[in-house]
Amino acid sequence: MNRFSVRLSLAALAVGLVALLATGCSEDAPPGAKKLSFELTDAGCVPNSTSAPAGPIVFEIENAGTTAVTEIEVMEGDAILGEKENLSDGLSGSFSLTLDAGDYTIYCPGGSADEGTLSVTGKSDAAAGAPDEKGAIAQYRSYLEHNTDELVEETEPFVAAVIAGNVAKAKALYAAARIPYERIEPVAESFGDLDPRIDARENDVQAKEFGGFHRIEKALWEENTAKGMAPVAERLLADVEELEQKVKHVNLQAAQIANGANELLGEVSASKITGEEERYSHIDLVDFEANVEGAEAAFEAVEPLLSKKDPKLAKEIEASFKDVYAALKPYRRGDGFVSYTELSKADTRKLAQEIDALAEELSQVPAQIVG
Amino acid sequence: MTEITRRRLLAAAGVGAAGVGLGGAAGYLVGSDDAQASDGTGSVPFYGEHQAGIDTPAQDRLHFAAFDLVDPSRAALRELMQEWSVAAAEMTAGQMIGDANGVELAPPEDTGETVGLLPSRLTVTFGFGPSLFERREPGLKGSRPAALAPIPPLPADELNELESGGDICVQACSDDPQVAFHAIRNLARIGRGTVVMRWSQLGFGRTASTSRSQETPRNLMGFKDGTANIKAEDTAAMDRYVWVGNEGPAWMRGGSYVVTRRIRMLLEVWDRSALEDQEQTIGRDKYRGAPLGAQEEFDPLDLEAEKGGKPVIPVDAHVRLASASANDGERILRRGYSFTDGVDQSLGELEAGLFFICFQRDPRKQFVPIQQRLGSNDALNEYIKHVGSALFAVPPGARQGGYVGETLLD
Repeated sequence: MNRFSVRLSLAALAVGLVALLATGCSEDAPPGAKKLSFELTDAGCVPNSTSAPAGPIVFEIENAGTTAVTEIEVMEGDAILGEKENLSDGLSGSFSLTLDAGDYTIYCPGGSADEGTLSVTGKSDAAAGAPDEKGAIAQYRSYLEHNTDELVEETEPFVAAVIAGNVAKAKALYAAARIPYERIEPVAESFGDLDPRIDARENDVQAKEFGGFHRIEKALWEENTAKGMAPVAERLLADVEELEQKVKHVNLQAAQIANGANELLGEVSASKITGEEERYSHIDLVDFEANVEGAEAAFEAVEPLLSKKDPKLAKEIEASFKDVYAALKPYRRGDGFVSYTELSKADTRKLAQEIDALAEELSQVPAQIVG
Repeated sequence: MTEITRRRLLAAAGVGAAGVGLGGAAGYLVGSDDAQASDGTGSVPFYGEHQAGIDTPAQDRLHFAAFDLVDPSRAALRELMQEWSVAAAEMTAGQMIGDANGVELAPPEDTGETVGLLPSRLTVTFGFGPSLFERREPGLKGSRPAALAPIPPLPADELNELESGGDICVQACSDDPQVAFHAIRNLARIGRGTVVMRWSQLGFGRTASTSRSQETPRNLMGFKDGTANIKAEDTAAMDRYVWVGNEGPAWMRGGSYVVTRRIRMLLEVWDRSALEDQEQTIGRDKYRGAPLGAQEEFDPLDLEAEKGGKPVIPVDAHVRLASASANDGERILRRGYSFTDGVDQSLGELEAGLFFICFQRDPRKQFVPIQQRLGSNDALNEYIKHVGSALFAVPPGARQGGYVGETLLD
């Protein structure tokens, strides 16, 4: 969990993406796109409910004179797929999404009837996404599902050890459960409060809501007990299982995947290299590597798209990933890493600088692979 | 995509004076009067025979940074200096860096904190440290000027290695602190992967005047500092003491050498010393700035004058030891800034002092012997510690279309 709000959430990224599609690259909507028009009024969105065929959909929104409602969101369950914010009186805007068949929520916060339904029917045709983009999405989806499966598999024995009160065993199993989560964290963050439930640090949430991995970490390392942790552990397992199910239906776009890589490196800079993430167990370098691996997997998925536009940047990024792994190497011990507490300021400085160099390049990718 | 510029936003914001300075800046056709306007509208051309920021009338604020190479290849260094020069030229003209500042999906090229701010006489000055020439790559050993000899250990040094040295330096001076900060921040960002920042120093107030048009400022000890400084209008003195001539390698002609010293002042001790002691330590009247025994600030030092069998200006007074006549006629161009960096955690006292900067033609003949004399005998040593030190060769200015360092790297 990032202590700071994530700068560009996946949902917001989707909006940025469509804004670019709408205004940057072309004035036209995606070919064959269905247009849906909405007005913001005191009641919320008008129409409140509507339907559309599966495939690309352009949402056109106009504020028809309300100060109560300035925003529209299209959601699938808890996940925001697209939104337009800050549409005050007289302003209009648009965004587009490619949606499969199903029921989606139209949410216009502040309206007297703030929720409605968008029914999408039929089958999306092949127009949705070029072959490379489809390949990128398929490759990353497979990585995502592999890691959420592994997360459940590794969390099960960890949770069992906690419930059994076996502190030593739970400590030994903790890191293995953390790795798959840290590889895909940005996607988990797109599901509302699932990420804070699984991964909040003590200061991130109110005391009574502090659960998940780090609550158990605190008990095991700081209090040296698993007492009272059984309900927390059971909830953790239920939450990672929920995540495993949710990612199967997550809507992915290539720029979103690339931006997820940036978010992962942002995580490294903000909380791993500072030792804040694993403040009781000090396995921060394990998370560090998992974040980098997750970023690399996301980058590899979109790399063919990038190489078409900017092969030099793609090569530079590949080299920078190698530099980061090389910088981590001296701290490797067996399957894991030295404790964060063994790192000197000079050590963390060098690691942070390597991440900054990689992240600066990686931040150029989303714009390159769209438009 | 809407083009965003600092200028457009300024115009939109209705900044009255913006039209004058920025209009001039856009074409680098800034007359000398505009260039010196310290109300923010002044804009100092980046390209020229010498790098700006040396003979430019000292601006009010400083951000200085030293970098180390992490990608030591010659090609990477050349590309860095090219990109830095272009960005520096844009920033000094009051423009945003780059052209991708409105792409929704990309981080803006310019970080944006100077949007709506005036050029504020920003200058960006680059230099190369001795360590750059000692590396196997980029293979510059043979180009090292003899004058770039490491500064030997000096009396009263208490140097911290992490506040000293560096392969490359960037001095950003401006009348607006945010404009100076923005320059260093953005150059550091451009350099990621090629250089890492080793140390950096903010200066909040100039302690030197480098032009006859400027009042002599006071340092944190409350004394006028730099009264006897070389003034840019004195071109003969600039040529004799500051600009590199035909000596040494050709790539340094028109350049200079900069020495920086982070000088921590023990202000608490200073503040409880009597006025007479303070004046005897410096050798000047605290308020008028006149040399002891004289009436006006710019009166000459009378080093021979005695009163009651004792020299009027004490033998260990700072002005005596720093004077040209005490140093075989040698002088330096001082361009330092006062700094404070919070509280010295080990003492609970203000971490403050002078970030001393001086430019010269050959540090071996100028800064080093002067400081050897000062470090051994200066009465001021009781109140100061030199905690950081660095030396850089400052190459000549870049021509339009060229870059700083071209004479060395091409």
